Amino acid sequence: MVICRCEEITVADIRQAIREGATSLTGIKRRTRAGMGLCQGRTCETLVARILAEELDKKAAEVPCSSVRPPIVPVTFGVLAEEPHE
Amino acid sequence: MSRAHDVIVVGGGVIGSAVAYYLSKKGVDVLLCERGDVANGTSSSCDGNVLAIDKMPGFDSQITFESQKLYDRLETELGHDFEYRRLGSTLAVEDEEQAVTARDWVRRQREAGLPMRYLEGQEVRDDEPELARDIIGLVECASDSSLNPMAVVFGFVLAAQRYGTTVKRFTEVRSVVTGTRGEATGIDTSEGSFAAPRVIICAGVWTPALAETVGVKVPITPRKGQILVAERTKTIGRRKLMEFGYLMAKFGGAAKRKVEPDMEKYGIALVFEPTPHGNFLIGSSREFVGFDTVCSNRVNTLLARRAIRFYPAIKDVKVIRSYAGLRPYTDDHLPVVSEAPGVPGLYVAAGHEGDGIGLAPVTGLLMSQMVTGEQPVMPAEPLRLDRFQKNPVGTTHSSGS
Repeated sequence: MVICRCEEITVADIRQAIREGATSLTGIKRRTRAGMGLCQGRTCETLVARILAEELDKKAAEVPCSSVRPPIVPVTFGVLAEEPHE
Repeated sequence: MSRAHDVIVVGGGVIGSAVAYYLSKKGVDVLLCERGDVANGTSSSCDGNVLAIDKMPGFDSQITFESQKLYDRLETELGHDFEYRRLGSTLAVEDEEQAVTARDWVRRQREAGLPMRYLEGQEVRDDEPELARDIIGLVECASDSSLNPMAVVFGFVLAAQRYGTTVKRFTEVRSVVTGTRGEATGIDTSEGSFAAPRVIICAGVWTPALAETVGVKVPITPRKGQILVAERTKTIGRRKLMEFGYLMAKFGGAAKRKVEPDMEKYGIALVFEPTPHGNFLIGSSREFVGFDTVCSNRVNTLLARRAIRFYPAIKDVKVIRSYAGLRPYTDDHLPVVSEAPGVPGLYVAAGHEGDGIGLAPVTGLLMSQMVTGEQPVMPAEPLRLDRFQKNPVGTTHSSGS
């Protein structure tokens, strides 16, 4: 079953990453690429958090969010290269 | 205190994990301590280069070449796919003045044994069709490669564990512990004390603070580098490309680049890196701003401009993320792979700036040979820590890659 559609990462890939030591969304991302794609985890993050919680025997709310970095929404290089408008 | 190990390695980035791997492969009993998850600091916020193209001919290029040879067989050795691709790398030449220097650069590198050549005219268009039309030449190094840096760290750590390394994550090392003769006897951590007659600090930009706990000075300064991540797209460039003009400015050999002042202020020079997943990275800035890793919008704008200058088609591609990491800078652009003077049993492997990923295998191998008393794969005198006492810091370069 595919969990991260942007990077085509399956539930098996995520469980494998947890067996290899991942304990957080960031740990999963660095080991599998889940959440590294165009949507930056917007779609899959809650699903990944649920798998983490199940495997680590925690509550999903106890799994910390991953880091958010600019740009908040994808923007073209052309737009980014312009002087910011006041 | 738990049972003693042979060696404690502090730091689970690419250097610490490489050191742990090469040591445990020789049968040494290693304890690896890391404050967070492995691949959590600089090794998770860099790019994935193994580059000889931007090294001074001589020791710098030779040590890189040695590391490239180790990388060529490392995926097989570790049994771990880290997306290693030996596509070669290129430097873009912008004008005739640079071209003269570039041809000479290639000649000297070839004499030093590196597989380099100079492309011009139609060869440039054939090599990278999307490159700006006013780029007149390309310096190519065929042995350079790209990889996924985090996957390298995970590969080293998993293999080290198979060879018996104990990995303690989420364990912050607070100080080195010494004995009655001032020798290293272990470490004190957030999870208690651990004993070993040898301690190797592989903590990158966090090395000086830890070494200071036993009075050892390690002149490493954090240098911030910010990078943009592009969406998956059609092929813009097929392999790594950097600016020849910036490299020459770095070595002090040529005129300043013709760029807006902020490009120099933030140390912006293009590093284009395609990934095997169909997207690419755009680096990088180079700033001395302490331990700040917040992504700056101004730097993102400048990076985007620099990318479009070399690849005009990039303007319609989307940026999906930026990130910044701290490169462990030393004044002479060489790392420290050395015993620590004054504290028997203490070693340092750190300070690789932008070459930590590239030099990790040779660093791990050299450090393992140093600790076990074997003949080193190459002489490591230029990497000794006491070189900074002979040549005080702050007198050589002011910029670098």
